[in-house]
Amino acid sequence: MIYLFQILNGIGLGMLYFLLAVGLSVIFGLLQFVNFAHGAFYLLGAYLTFDLTQRGFSFWAAMPMATLIVAGIAAAIEALLLHRIYKLPHTFHILVTVGLALVIQELVIIAWGPLGGSVPAPEGLQGVVIAGDFIYPQYRLFTIGFTAVLAGLLWWLLEGTRLGAIVRGGSESPSNMALLGYNTMRINTAVFGFGAGLAGLAGALAAPIRGVEPFMGVEALSVAFVVVVIGGMGSYTGALVAGLLVGIVQSVMTTVWPEGARLMIYLGMALVIATMPRGLLGRA
Amino acid sequence: MHPLDKPAVQFGLAVLTVAVLPLFLTSGILATEILIFAMVVAACNLLLGYTGLLSFGQGIFFGVGTYAAGICLTRWQVPVPLVLAGSAILGAAIATLVGWLSIRRQGVYFVMLTLAFSQLFYFMAYTFSGITGGDNGLLGVPRPSLGGAELNAPWSYYTYVAVCFLAIFAILVMVTQSTFGRTLIAIRENEGRAAAIGFPTRLFKIEAFAISGAVTAFGGALHAMLIGVAPLSNIEHHTSELILIMTIIGGSSSLFGSVLGAGFYLLLADALSAVWPRWLLLLGLVLVAVALFLQRGLWGLVERLYDAVLRREPSPTKPAEEH
Repeated sequence: MIYLFQILNGIGLGMLYFLLAVGLSVIFGLLQFVNFAHGAFYLLGAYLTFDLTQRGFSFWAAMPMATLIVAGIAAAIEALLLHRIYKLPHTFHILVTVGLALVIQELVIIAWGPLGGSVPAPEGLQGVVIAGDFIYPQYRLFTIGFTAVLAGLLWWLLEGTRLGAIVRGGSESPSNMALLGYNTMRINTAVFGFGAGLAGLAGALAAPIRGVEPFMGVEALSVAFVVVVIGGMGSYTGALVAGLLVGIVQSVMTTVWPEGARLMIYLGMALVIATMPRGLLGRA
Repeated sequence: MHPLDKPAVQFGLAVLTVAVLPLFLTSGILATEILIFAMVVAACNLLLGYTGLLSFGQGIFFGVGTYAAGICLTRWQVPVPLVLAGSAILGAAIATLVGWLSIRRQGVYFVMLTLAFSQLFYFMAYTFSGITGGDNGLLGVPRPSLGGAELNAPWSYYTYVAVCFLAIFAILVMVTQSTFGRTLIAIRENEGRAAAIGFPTRLFKIEAFAISGAVTAFGGALHAMLIGVAPLSNIEHHTSELILIMTIIGGSSSLFGSVLGAGFYLLLADALSAVWPRWLLLLGLVLVAVALFLQRGLWGLVERLYDAVLRREPSPTKPAEEH
């Protein structure tokens, strides 16, 4: 029973990792740009949700607001700063986004203090689900359902719509897209905002589960990297499989070996890389 | 080659740094820390500047050296020279492992892997707190003694570290000037071609990792003796980030650039953190500014200044204006 509980927890956690990794992946796919500030956008999403609920907004209003604010800030950063550095070697992409992550993290500490806080589960989902002798928090069940719907929507958006086709076309050949009359600069800005918004949303959803603290961004960034390394960058299915795998491993290990749960994520990754250098699905 | 890049000039500048730091700094601890990070950053530069490998995992080796020194000195009273040699060997061994796994992927995947490995080793240190002391670290790491005299005063330990620093710097200069070092540059410039000529490029990269790991762990051990603790923070993500930032700020085209990077960062940190606890915000802005305006780092700035002041003839990169 405890394992079923932990596997459900792991699926919830894994879906959040999936959101993070897809955001990272979409940005990389189009802009050939590793966003080291991705964890900072997750952090910002969580803190904005914390702040808005403290101000009396319902979680149902705070979550989309936080997501949109993060997306807006990210788009503004792209339009003002990042597009100037695309042509530089990737050392400088990393330097700039590491710098941005520091700025965001310090601003968060200035605005909300270094101690962190907790976000209550939203109204309507504060109870538990009881099935026989199995008891599970409603909010966690909601995140699984909600992120599953979101994952479906994302898949449809990226693979089934004209918008997705434009994004994929842009990652294949930006110059051809420009020749076809698309404003690639504006597409870049929108996609960066979109990808960062997904990180912000993951942060907003995670806030009621794990609370907020100023250094949650670093951990999120490295987990997103693990997911992307074993699942393959730019692979939707890879991100989903790897995200769930990492989430479930982490949760189940919390029962088996609590101190080593997070260590196991990275050991697992090392094992995958040692045996399958190209990652689980063998792409990229 | 730029005249300032000559090996003798590079080593001369390192000697000058060792001589000048005590004249300007009142804190022997800060001066020692600058030298320790200078060698660690130069080792990171061997990977970034000479081999083209951006490693986000240098904190692993630094932390490994720190713990090796902490454990050997607080539990077993191993002689210090043996501790330093042992740290370097252990650092090389772990760097070989991390390098072997990380270079299985290239470009951005490589960078992400090194970052993930730095998390792996951090959680390992955190989890096995029986060995590492966990959050508390290992307390009471003693300073070395020389011929019966304890080097407890900051400036006498500075001298000890300065000798180590000059030896390590000389070794790194020799490595970069050797055929091995030239081959690393060839791999950085065009890995496919280097492999086609017949160089075992993966082996060379792993060897570069091993050297870098050895020097970094050596520095980590010196650092534990400096602050008297082997702290968990030395193996954190933050340390890896710090070493990389110093390397890029200093400029990756010359080894002495790394000394400048370490010095600049630590002096800035010392001055700003006393004024404002949230000074990392300013550091973030500095990083953005370096990427936009100072891509060759502080060393690039030094080269340009030198050209402007001392060299009359136009530099070969800029063609003379036509009329």
